[in-house]
Amino acid sequence: MKKKKFDISSIMQSKITWAVVAEILILLVCFIIRPDFFKISYQPTTGMLYGSLIDIINRSAEITIIAMGMTLVIALGGTDLSVGAMVALSGAIALKFMRWDVLVYNTPGDYTVMPYILVILVPLLVCTLLGLFNGFMIANIGMQPIIATLILMVCGRGVAQICTNGKQFTTLYSPFRVIGQGSLFCLPMPIIITAVIVVLVSLFVRKTAFGTMVESVGINPSASRLSGIDSKKIILIVFALTGLLSAISGLIYSSRIMSNDSNNAGINYEMDAILAVVIGGTNMSGGKFSLAGTVIGSIIIRTIVTFVYYFGIVSEATMAFKALIIIVVIVLQSEPVRQKMAKMGKKKKAADVPKGGAVSA
Amino acid sequence: MKKFLAIVLALAMVMALGVSAFADLKVAFSQIGQESDWRTANTDNLCAAIEGHEGWTLIYDDAQQKQENQIKALRNFITQGVDYILFTGVVNTGWDEVLAEVNEAEIPLILIDRMPECADKIEYAAAFGGDFVEEGRRQTIWAGEYLKSLGRGDEEIAVAIMEGTTGADAQVGRTKGNLEGLEKYPNMKVVAQQSGNFTRAEGQAVMESWLKSVDKIDVLIAQNDDMGLGAVDAIKAAGLVPGKDIIIVGCDSVKAAFEAIVAGDMNATIECTPLYADFVVPTIEGLEAGETYGRDVLHPAEGVYDCVGGIVCGGEVEVTSTLAADVIDARVY
Repeated sequence: MKKKKFDISSIMQSKITWAVVAEILILLVCFIIRPDFFKISYQPTTGMLYGSLIDIINRSAEITIIAMGMTLVIALGGTDLSVGAMVALSGAIALKFMRWDVLVYNTPGDYTVMPYILVILVPLLVCTLLGLFNGFMIANIGMQPIIATLILMVCGRGVAQICTNGKQFTTLYSPFRVIGQGSLFCLPMPIIITAVIVVLVSLFVRKTAFGTMVESVGINPSASRLSGIDSKKIILIVFALTGLLSAISGLIYSSRIMSNDSNNAGINYEMDAILAVVIGGTNMSGGKFSLAGTVIGSIIIRTIVTFVYYFGIVSEATMAFKALIIIVVIVLQSEPVRQKMAKMGKKKKAADVPKGGAVSA
Repeated sequence: MKKFLAIVLALAMVMALGVSAFADLKVAFSQIGQESDWRTANTDNLCAAIEGHEGWTLIYDDAQQKQENQIKALRNFITQGVDYILFTGVVNTGWDEVLAEVNEAEIPLILIDRMPECADKIEYAAAFGGDFVEEGRRQTIWAGEYLKSLGRGDEEIAVAIMEGTTGADAQVGRTKGNLEGLEKYPNMKVVAQQSGNFTRAEGQAVMESWLKSVDKIDVLIAQNDDMGLGAVDAIKAAGLVPGKDIIIVGCDSVKAAFEAIVAGDMNATIECTPLYADFVVPTIEGLEAGETYGRDVLHPAEGVYDCVGGIVCGGEVEVTSTLAADVIDARVY
């Protein structure tokens, strides 16, 4: 009995609970307005499951993948503002490699000029190196993360423009289409890629001491250093990983539209990723983090966007509507509200079982 | 003797400067930055025409999407004493002061593309830009006439309007035009209206949701080609045939839209030309010769390109559509 009571208040206090509750509430509203929002059918022409819920998870892929890295960055007590620019850069490099022959605009073809392996690997490599550069500026030069990553945020998009001579290339190369529009096990490929990445990152941080070291550096860098943790190495790895994940996200983005869009690809992704991490219950000041919470945070953001499209909220009100839901979610999981909720849970228990414990109102 | 030589030399230099100043017309161009293919084509076209013109020098400034850069550039133009200023503003407001300075310096100002809010309060030699409302009208009128030609003129038609970035001049104008154009066709009803932010990715996501939330869409009016191209993929993913099950009308006439029309994925695109040189060059020549152009915003002659050709779809300006396949090779952007 006593154990159960403890469980409830700890569940009520957990931030991730409130993220899940918020997601369920939004879906519930969808269900009340339009029960067919939940309809999932099999689409024989594409061989994929088809429905709004699938769309939500599918289209949250880009942010979820980046937010995995962002969670670790924030756990270190930093932020990475360069992810959106890296998404644009990754797509630009991939399209440049496929359409190297294009000097003037011509018809898109089902071929690639450079070997396909380079189309995929070079963007990943370049963005990982740029992530390392971010990490180097922070760990070795001692810059503040927000300033260090601001450099790439500002110039990354410009570099992407230079890569493609300011042009928007289009391709019809089918192996490239698979990344964003293909399917596996009846699910859109981005969902599969995201699932694999979430599992890999979780295993990496939780099955090794890496996650604990990140939390330790985030909570107290000096104490961690004194206890023998190489914080520089940790910072380098985390930022390089975020760069790599941004590049994967960029490949998915550009594969979905089969083109590079240096002006619009990854716009505001840094903000969405930070938001996903915060909704997921990781504190901006660093320390403990929750990858599962981040996944839910990212899905919440996409659910709101899909809600807006699905129910035809007028364009002018879209931003205000998004803000409203996010405020509610963040307030729900803020410290004072959770404390109060936990107390209410305890109180209820206390009323059920007299002398259940010392409870102050 | 030395003194005399010095004076002669000095005089010669002044003369040389004077002569070159008379021969060279300094045309300054303050461009927003490179935001899209359209803008790149616009810049390339204008810069090439001015540089290539005999006796004209181009002073070009790329503001990289920042108003403060543009204001700085305009002030530089004044200090350099240029002869003409071509100007398009990155935003609508906040130009009053710097454009008043241009007026004070008595440098003829030619407004292109985007008209600043303070246009009423300042002097300008000429104004030239696209007619977004007319483009919007043409989109829906083309759809209406095309459906008539298919014998679906009396059928109940569901229209979805995918708007541009909320508040952008093009979105406001084209939405107004879209709805005006629809007034002629009582059988066409708007069933969905949403912003796709002028990008392919968002156009795709919006279409994906519409296909699930709206029972039937017959016509998609996409306020730029990119959103239309994004929607094509979403329609295919839903197992429908774009261009057939759902008629797609885009706007801007970028090369990729021509390719989609020829491939049968899209049906039409309304032109919004970035090629301003054909207007700007004669205007400057005219102004030099003492002509005036009044305060009206002049519009370029623009076409409509589609999958069938020969559809009369002008709103206030008459236009007949051209078969896209016939002109695709001649398109430069």
